[in-house]
Amino acid sequence: MIRLSDIVVKFGDFEALHNINVHVQEGEFFTFLGPSGCGKTTTLRTITGFIDPVSGTVEMQGRDITHVPIEKRNIGIVFQSYALFPTMTVHDNIAFGLKIKKMKKDEIEKKVNDIARKVDLSDEQLKKAVSQLSGGQQQRVAIARALVTEPAIICMDEPLSNLDAKLRVQLRNELKKMQKEFGITTIYVTHDQEEALTLSDRIAVFNKGYIEQIGTPNEVYNHSATEFVANFIGDINKLQNGIVSSMHLDPEKAHYIRLERIGVSLAKDGQTETPSGNSVLFSGVIESQEYYGLFIKYTIQAAGQTLKAVEKNDGINIYEPGDKVNLLIDPADVMSY
Amino acid sequence: MYAGSGRHQTEYGMGKLWGIFGGVLFIYLFLGFMVMPCFNTLTSIFSAKDAAGNPDPFAVIRFFFAGNMPSFVLNSLKLAVLLVITVNVVGISIVLLTEYFDIKGAKILRLGYMTTLIYSGVALVTGYQFLYDKDGILTNWLLQFFPNMDRQWFSGFSSVLFTMTFACTSNHALFLRNAIRGIDYNTVEAARNMGAKPFKVLLKVVMPTLLPTLFSLTVMTFITGLCAMSAPTLLGYNSINPEIVRLAGSTTADEAFPQARAALLSIILAIFTIVLLSILNHYERKGHYLSVSKTKAKLVKQKIQNPVANVLAHIYAYVLFIIYMTPVVMIVIFSLQNWQAIRSKTLDFSGWTLINYFGSQDYSYTTSRGKTKIRPDAISGVFANEKTIGGIRLSFILSALAAALACVIVVVAVNYIFKHKNKKRSRVVEACLLFPWLLPTILICYSFRIFFNKEVWYVFGNNMYYAENVRFLIVMAYTVVKLPFALRMVKAAFYAIDEELEDAARNLGASPLVTFLKVKLPIVLPSVLAVFALNFNALFTEYDMSATFQSSYGTSYAMVMQSMCNEEGRDGMNMNASGRRCASTVFIMIVSGLILYLVYGVGARDLGERLAIRERRRKRLQKIGRRLGLSHAAAEDAEVRID
Repeated sequence: MIRLSDIVVKFGDFEALHNINVHVQEGEFFTFLGPSGCGKTTTLRTITGFIDPVSGTVEMQGRDITHVPIEKRNIGIVFQSYALFPTMTVHDNIAFGLKIKKMKKDEIEKKVNDIARKVDLSDEQLKKAVSQLSGGQQQRVAIARALVTEPAIICMDEPLSNLDAKLRVQLRNELKKMQKEFGITTIYVTHDQEEALTLSDRIAVFNKGYIEQIGTPNEVYNHSATEFVANFIGDINKLQNGIVSSMHLDPEKAHYIRLERIGVSLAKDGQTETPSGNSVLFSGVIESQEYYGLFIKYTIQAAGQTLKAVEKNDGINIYEPGDKVNLLIDPADVMSY
Repeated sequence: MYAGSGRHQTEYGMGKLWGIFGGVLFIYLFLGFMVMPCFNTLTSIFSAKDAAGNPDPFAVIRFFFAGNMPSFVLNSLKLAVLLVITVNVVGISIVLLTEYFDIKGAKILRLGYMTTLIYSGVALVTGYQFLYDKDGILTNWLLQFFPNMDRQWFSGFSSVLFTMTFACTSNHALFLRNAIRGIDYNTVEAARNMGAKPFKVLLKVVMPTLLPTLFSLTVMTFITGLCAMSAPTLLGYNSINPEIVRLAGSTTADEAFPQARAALLSIILAIFTIVLLSILNHYERKGHYLSVSKTKAKLVKQKIQNPVANVLAHIYAYVLFIIYMTPVVMIVIFSLQNWQAIRSKTLDFSGWTLINYFGSQDYSYTTSRGKTKIRPDAISGVFANEKTIGGIRLSFILSALAAALACVIVVVAVNYIFKHKNKKRSRVVEACLLFPWLLPTILICYSFRIFFNKEVWYVFGNNMYYAENVRFLIVMAYTVVKLPFALRMVKAAFYAIDEELEDAARNLGASPLVTFLKVKLPIVLPSVLAVFALNFNALFTEYDMSATFQSSYGTSYAMVMQSMCNEEGRDGMNMNASGRRCASTVFIMIVSGLILYLVYGVGARDLGERLAIRERRRKRLQKIGRRLGLSHAAAEDAEVRID
């Protein structure tokens, strides 16, 4: 559907993107994930045509669109700020692109009403100014405006970043639902790993103008290709010498383990727990506890280092600071680089 | 090749062509109406010749120091320095009294303090004269209580300072008010919580945040004082500007190098202005005290706890209100009085009339030889007196044209500046538009008058000061003078446009022109209209430029008023010139007020507010319809017609 080949973007002497290669499949929800300044928005703007690459090609449906003007690319965009025109009503915002295309009035009306129904905007809301709508409604208008011109793909640049946490989760689900309903290829930019993991079919993790890994959420989370990806996605423990040598891991490499992969249980006096399979047992002491409701995160001193671990909150096995605990680590869960 | 690329290339080609045309026009106007006239003025200082006809480049400068000319500069400096103190005291007072302290009737007080927005320039000065000069209403009234008082108390320096103090607080009323409203109230509460007393909070927390605005206002006030024109001319004070105008109209037969001396005085003013603005610019670049709060709390008015201080503050507020309002009220009242009452400056409760506004009357008088003569239409209203209405009409048209032209130039230029942000050419365009800010108004007008008062090749061999051409020259001068202010305001408005809006419009297929017209312009339009209104109101009653361009074809409202009042009653002519002046001032206040209301009141509403008002109106109409027993359809019909 969209193929970026060896894309290089420069701002003066600064090279913002180095040989980016991505292939987004038809109907896919594809996310560009990374910290600020990593090049994800630059890549998106190269696809949409706001930035001209120094070298490389952008292909859409097999056609080279590298130097095609923005308006001719047939790509819909939902901006970070939504970029809704404040001097127009909701209806006029959605109809803007159709009017530019000089469509007939009744055709415009039909298309606007159709898309409004699909994104759940009422007739009453269509007559309102965009400033009179809530954040969630504004997002729906932005999506409707981007979709009404029937683009081949839709690009979203951090569209949830301006919303509060609760609304963000709610709209995330709606967004996914809408994308499935419309079946439209979507490229989504975010720095929020949770958003990327929950929404995407595939994720490209960006760092300093390079792509570190492209994969499904499970692949990038559980089988992070690089140290950066392992660190950037989710919370992780870096294992120090004590644990590394006890587990007979390669001392030349860096070793990481996800928090939920460490098994925590209360150490009973006089009893020694027998680890199952290849797991290695460590004794530790609870240093502090963070209560999240669904789960509890513990900071534990073990084998001469601080480890973090999460346990499901079953309401019974809740450990207090000072409690002695046993930690079980399976070498198969360790990611080494 | 993709579909439609041909059209795109044609559009690109046309855009490029328009760009070249715009660029050439801009350079032509900049050189012809800014650089060349002012350069001509500068060189004229050094082109003097001695008695033998040999060049003597420093003759004018020697003459300057040998004569009394430095006194004009010193007088202007004295006025500027004292004006900074008095305007800041009054300006800060009116803003604190209406926005910071809890003073009863603050809304009414604010309206009074803001009258200078619609009542300024020559109208204000003559209004003050009307009240305070040797035969003024208030002077007569005060003499009843203080018989030994100097009847001529309102003349010279003190009268100029008094008048300008109250005339120059408009900027405080607008900008300092905005600054104080922008204060995060949480900072005040935090200071109080830490034990600071109210006065300490005002001094240590509130005032420092106002300092950048106050500094800008101080510099602007200083420049206003230095370049004062109407008040010194009408009230009699020897400062720079009136002297420049006098010299500009003088000839070598009367005195030595009048034009070159006028030019030198203009250049001195320009040097002062450039130095002051450089200081201001340097200070502004150092940054402002911006609130770092993400959840700013609205300022809550502070109660003055000490009862004595509270009473004194109320007295002070209402005394200021009386000073601001008295001329306005008196002008309105006397515009409805007959000419005898106005001439004697006593209120005649049986002398109410509309003659100062509408219609005309004959005036009969007895000559020194005992003959009775009738002067037809010697008493006439604003709308019946061709000279007065002609002056108003001309001022209206010239001001509207110039204000609109300044807005168009600036909007197009700012759009260009933002489009080519961080590029050298955009900085050059901006500098060109700010250029007139460095030059005093009088220098620009004087330079125009001298440079274009001959056949000039640059304007196709025309004499632009000749006959009706002078009107074009006035429009150009008005426009040039108002460009820097328009640029600063419009640029601020453009900053408010989210860059993603432009991207969104382009993504949806809009061309740069459509994006500008349909997306960007509607967003900045309220600010552009506000700039238009402020510039228009200032130009409508301005005196300085009209006086410099004195010409029978360019006689603006201000000049008509001045000349008619001067000849009031002479040979039975213009018997009610003062009454007509009062009436015309009232008319102009109404026009200016209406424009400000339309721009700030109606025009500033965003789409949401407009739709909400429309919705309320629709409901109200439906309710009335139901009460009157109208059908729903009829009520809807009425609503559609109103929309």
